[in-house]
Amino acid sequence: MKRKNMMVNIFVYLFLIIGAMYTLFPLLMALMNSFKTNGQLLTNVISLPDRIHFENYIRTFEKMKYLRSLGNTVLLASVSVSLMILFSALAGWKLSRTKTRLSKIIFSLFVFSMLIPFSSIMIPLYKVTLTLHLKNSLLGLSLVYAGLGVSMAIFLYHGFVKGIPMELEEAAGIDGSSSIQTFFYVIMPLLKPITTTICITNVLWVWNDFLLPLIVLSSNKKYTLLLSTNTLFGQYSSDWTAILSALILAAIPVIGFYALFQKQILKGIADGAVKG
Amino acid sequence: MNKKHPNRSLLLFCAPALLVYFVFKLYPAISGFFYALTDWNGITKTYKFVGVSNFREILDDSYFWGSMRFTLKYVLAIVVVSNVVALILAVAIESRPKGKGFFRTVFYMPNMISMVIGGYMWMFIFTKVLYYMADNWNLKFLDKSWIGDPKYSFLAIIIVAAWGAVGYLMIIYMAALQGVPTELKSAASLDGANAWQIFWKVTFPLIGHAVTICIFWALNSGFQVFDVIYALTGGGPGRATQSAAINIYEEAFKGNIRYGYATAKSTVLFFIVLMVTMLQLRLTKRREAEL
Repeated sequence: MKRKNMMVNIFVYLFLIIGAMYTLFPLLMALMNSFKTNGQLLTNVISLPDRIHFENYIRTFEKMKYLRSLGNTVLLASVSVSLMILFSALAGWKLSRTKTRLSKIIFSLFVFSMLIPFSSIMIPLYKVTLTLHLKNSLLGLSLVYAGLGVSMAIFLYHGFVKGIPMELEEAAGIDGSSSIQTFFYVIMPLLKPITTTICITNVLWVWNDFLLPLIVLSSNKKYTLLLSTNTLFGQYSSDWTAILSALILAAIPVIGFYALFQKQILKGIADGAVKG
Repeated sequence: MNKKHPNRSLLLFCAPALLVYFVFKLYPAISGFFYALTDWNGITKTYKFVGVSNFREILDDSYFWGSMRFTLKYVLAIVVVSNVVALILAVAIESRPKGKGFFRTVFYMPNMISMVIGGYMWMFIFTKVLYYMADNWNLKFLDKSWIGDPKYSFLAIIIVAAWGAVGYLMIIYMAALQGVPTELKSAASLDGANAWQIFWKVTFPLIGHAVTICIFWALNSGFQVFDVIYALTGGGPGRATQSAAINIYEEAFKGNIRYGYATAKSTVLFFIVLMVTMLQLRLTKRREAEL
């Protein structure tokens, strides 16, 4: 029995290691070849670079306006998610605490819309951004993300608030604190665990979303990292060392984010999915 | 607390969320049904009401149905492949004494990167690395036109999409597996059940909730697939790998700019997705076991 267990163990670990290598393969190939010259890449894509050539990075860093694109993406993600959290915490808390018919109607309205796929609203939504002069504006786009993201966030806050006892906010009310004060000083701190989850899942969503910025942002001054990378890919169709270094540059922020907050991210993903 | 007018203070607190939600989600969804009945082209300010003629045109639009067929094929493949692989990985990792954290971290990594970036990285693998391996390592089966030949480009798309989806589903399955009480498993083992039986008779029914979520997610995101195809094949060669979302995007934003007609298409897509996901939730919910 023991022997059999060990065999199973070895077999499973082998399987997992091969799986892990397969998963990392494209990333490692991109990283390795981004340090080569084009000539070297063409002779052997598998070999290690003879020495580290940073030229590709210097070239693409300039070409894709890396810092500007990165700044745009950070601005977009942080404003979008802050608005989403503020709006949906306010609404989710009140909806959960108010037991009227109107409250039920509003809540089901939010929940129902989670079934609407983005591709079916994308064209009318584009028209809305034109009418409101939000096209090509990062702040405008943040409002759009807030609008698309609130329903899911409200759903999560609504469920979480049910698990918080009423006494605290009632005590605050008796002490003369207004609803708004209670919300910011009593409720928001209690909501922190679910706020972290909502924050992480939505930052990743906005950061990695491609189609909506592709439609809404038309000037390359406003481009996000993904859009700049995409443009660069179109310009350097066969200059792979340039493309690969751009891809690595575009991946570095999220990989860094992952390295720093891995525990919270993995927990947040599981919580967000299971409760949603 | 506003005890006398609960609805007034409710509306006040919901106002910001309701505002952005109405303007950017509900209004586009509803006005979409209206635009679908017009010949609006996005350039001229005026448009005519044309009744159901857009929908009649869709019936004969072989490109659109081609893209729908491709989308269905894609959804079927990605739901099965990504869920099976994710479940196998979750079980394999959860049942190991060591290395859980490491493998979880690695397998989730592709989910951190946008599928546009991941898709371009795989493009390099398909167009450069695999050829190199085929030539130099004598692995002739890799010598295929992975992107240019529709037979293989479907496979390439599934490989990349699954690469990007498996980690997410695996995390959900792992969380569910951790919730299965060990006493139940050891009880079944004492009764003489083998590992295979324990999994299917004890564990699997108890993670039914996760199965529902994962299939729902894969279906929903599968029907809207855009990024990975955009990056890898752009819908080509020709229109061989065009998904419904790509078809709608091109109708609206590339070439002919027929917004009215494209909205009609997206309305059709909406109802198809709604029907399929409703059906799925009904079917899988019924099978979930409660503790």
